[in-house]
Amino acid sequence: MNDGREELDDLREAVREFLADKSPETAVRVAMETGHDPAVWDQMARQLRLPGLALPADYGGDGFGLTELEVVLEEMGAALLCSPFFGTAVLAAQALLAANDKAACERYLPGIAAGDTIATLAVAESSGSWEPAGIATRAERAKGEGPGWALTGKKSFVIDGSIADLVLVVAQTPAGPALFAVDGGAPGLRAEPMTALDPTRPLAALALDGVPGELIGVEGEGGRMLSQVLDVACVALAAEQAGGARRCLEMSAEYARTRFQFGRAIGTFQAIKHKCADMLARVELAEAAAREAARLADEAAAEFPVAAATAYICSSRAYMFAAAENIQVHGGIGFTWEHPAHLYFRRAKSSELLFGGPAVYHERLLARLGI
Amino acid sequence: MPDDVREFARQAREFLDANATRAEQAEFRWGQGEDTVAYFNADPPDVKDVKLHAAKDWQRTRYENGFGWISGPPEYGGQGLTPVHELIYNSIEAEYDVPDTGTLSVIGLGMIGPTILAHGQQAIKDHYLPALYRGDIIACQLFSEPGAGSDLAGLQTRAVPDGGEWVLEGQKVWTSIARQSQIGMALCRTDVNAPKHKGITAFLVDMSAPGVDVRPLRQMTGGSDFNEVFLTGVRVPDDHRLGEVNAGWRVALTTLMNERATVGGERGGTVAEALAPERLAALMRATGTLDDGALRRDLSVLLADLLAAGHLNRRAVRAMRAGVTPGPERSVAKLVHAQNLTRAAHFVSEVLGPRIIADTGEWGTYAWAELLLATPALRILGGTEEVMKNILAERVLKLPKEPGIDNTSPFRELPRSGKAAS
Repeated sequence: MNDGREELDDLREAVREFLADKSPETAVRVAMETGHDPAVWDQMARQLRLPGLALPADYGGDGFGLTELEVVLEEMGAALLCSPFFGTAVLAAQALLAANDKAACERYLPGIAAGDTIATLAVAESSGSWEPAGIATRAERAKGEGPGWALTGKKSFVIDGSIADLVLVVAQTPAGPALFAVDGGAPGLRAEPMTALDPTRPLAALALDGVPGELIGVEGEGGRMLSQVLDVACVALAAEQAGGARRCLEMSAEYARTRFQFGRAIGTFQAIKHKCADMLARVELAEAAAREAARLADEAAAEFPVAAATAYICSSRAYMFAAAENIQVHGGIGFTWEHPAHLYFRRAKSSELLFGGPAVYHERLLARLGI
Repeated sequence: MPDDVREFARQAREFLDANATRAEQAEFRWGQGEDTVAYFNADPPDVKDVKLHAAKDWQRTRYENGFGWISGPPEYGGQGLTPVHELIYNSIEAEYDVPDTGTLSVIGLGMIGPTILAHGQQAIKDHYLPALYRGDIIACQLFSEPGAGSDLAGLQTRAVPDGGEWVLEGQKVWTSIARQSQIGMALCRTDVNAPKHKGITAFLVDMSAPGVDVRPLRQMTGGSDFNEVFLTGVRVPDDHRLGEVNAGWRVALTTLMNERATVGGERGGTVAEALAPERLAALMRATGTLDDGALRRDLSVLLADLLAAGHLNRRAVRAMRAGVTPGPERSVAKLVHAQNLTRAAHFVSEVLGPRIIADTGEWGTYAWAELLLATPALRILGGTEEVMKNILAERVLKLPKEPGIDNTSPFRELPRSGKAAS
């Protein structure tokens, strides 16, 4: 249900068709081993213009809103697309926009919109926390002339950190946290892939040893920037989660219709029916929460931050629930490596904890409500 | 918004400005004002009567000004506009302080009116439809029976033809507003040799006819919001039959489909107000539990679900306004609503501690007992949780039906409670 907005259905259909063709399960499994397919990224950028979909036209984007981006992300989540899209078009792009630095936006966003730049945002360190207080990486003014800075520290859980052309790093300055642009090939930067629970979303650990960085926005403004980015990122992730949860439900329903035991389709048993209905209820709630949050963002509504936190909580629960119940509906086959159910389970758990997990996001909702 | 809708909205505002006052959003302060948290109507009988009169008066005022039956056909007193106009009117009226007309509208105007319109004979439509929508009469629904709850099509109240009339014999239960109603829509068995769905006929019963005996039923909250209705030799003229003989199940589906549009929506009133985030936070502050980590987590889980349910309803309303017909997935809202209110009542119990097992007289504490004791009903009324889940699984997810004998065998051969198959 898209409020009867047909253009959103058209967008969804186009992305779904593209992903059915370019990101079937076989392609996902290849990408899990060898990384994303650059040819698909290229087509996403040039044919569908997806990386720039929600970026302002001034910076080479198409100027749509989070409502449209949300639809795209639901489909990507459903297909478990292995792609630098989330890190680039959501995290990095939103960080640049939230930093209020026109020059930096002009420098970096057109490359992101065109699909020429793969970018990411490096915030968390070994604790995994996205709170500014948890950041130890330091930025110091580089010696000698010029506006440059030197960054030293360790970042962890950096999405696509091994392949990014542009790494946006949040580091401490004497005035507080701030955002810095670091070239993916800069001297002193070492990226190591981490062994990830969810191999469809590669994570890396970065070691920075006096790496040259360029300040984006204002020193000490990193905390405010991060809070704003997280609101949008939570909705974006919630969209992926809602899409993934919906796909788990579809897999379960399909299996329940066709798997026979005791001489009947297992879907005739109420134990299975009720499981599927419970999944449906959570999926419907998650979708509504994600889509409504996106709509409120585009209306610049005051209730957007509350809606964003709500969407992420509901989608996290819906996805984890649906991914686990999907395995249960499938029984033994669902526990095999060859069956895709575990890929969704992995993505669900990883998405739930990516920004710190329930302990953090539940308090975020209460904070956004002023409680 | 199209021009005609804009003009309609302007007229609605003009009408409401002239006949009602704008609702004032009073700022909430702990310890001040009403602390009732009641799902069921907890008013004493005399207050209920006063409110019922006010509701009927307001419905008449609406009707006389063209807002009583916005989407109804003009030949029966409607305005001939669309459901979209109706939604627009409702959302505008919500900004005003007007009597709650739920007693008239939820069942009578929302479900039985559309059923009479679709299946009633001409004289019945001419007579009852204007009376219903003008607020002169109230209608109730005589569906459930002691032996037919989830399995409504297993109903046993008989209707036997007798000289151009029908004679009804049986018992209905869980009838809301039976005492206030002038007419009731009854489902009766007219052929015990047909399969259960194919031997039912629907009738409109005059609630003041001899043989109709309404007895209040006391529910577990202590109040009486439902009734038992005994039908003993009740004579119903054949022109009060809705639909063809033995085609009553189709008629009932019309009624129940219209129920889907009403049940499960945000039910405003004292419960919705009490569950507002600031109210729950105030309760925790007052009880010194606002810093309790475990309760904070529970609060957040609860609020996220309540907020998301609100989003689900808002989106459904917006889709309906755009002309999208709600499908069976709307049942999710009902399921979630029951779960949320149940979780809320138990969460608040934990916050209150012993203050909900005995009344200390403190404002805003024991008042929650009314909601707590109502929550078991939410998982039963309007379709049990289990039946709703079957519907979602079968209609939305297309899972196959459970194989059974009861859709094909003659009704009289079906095993019943206390009467095993012979």
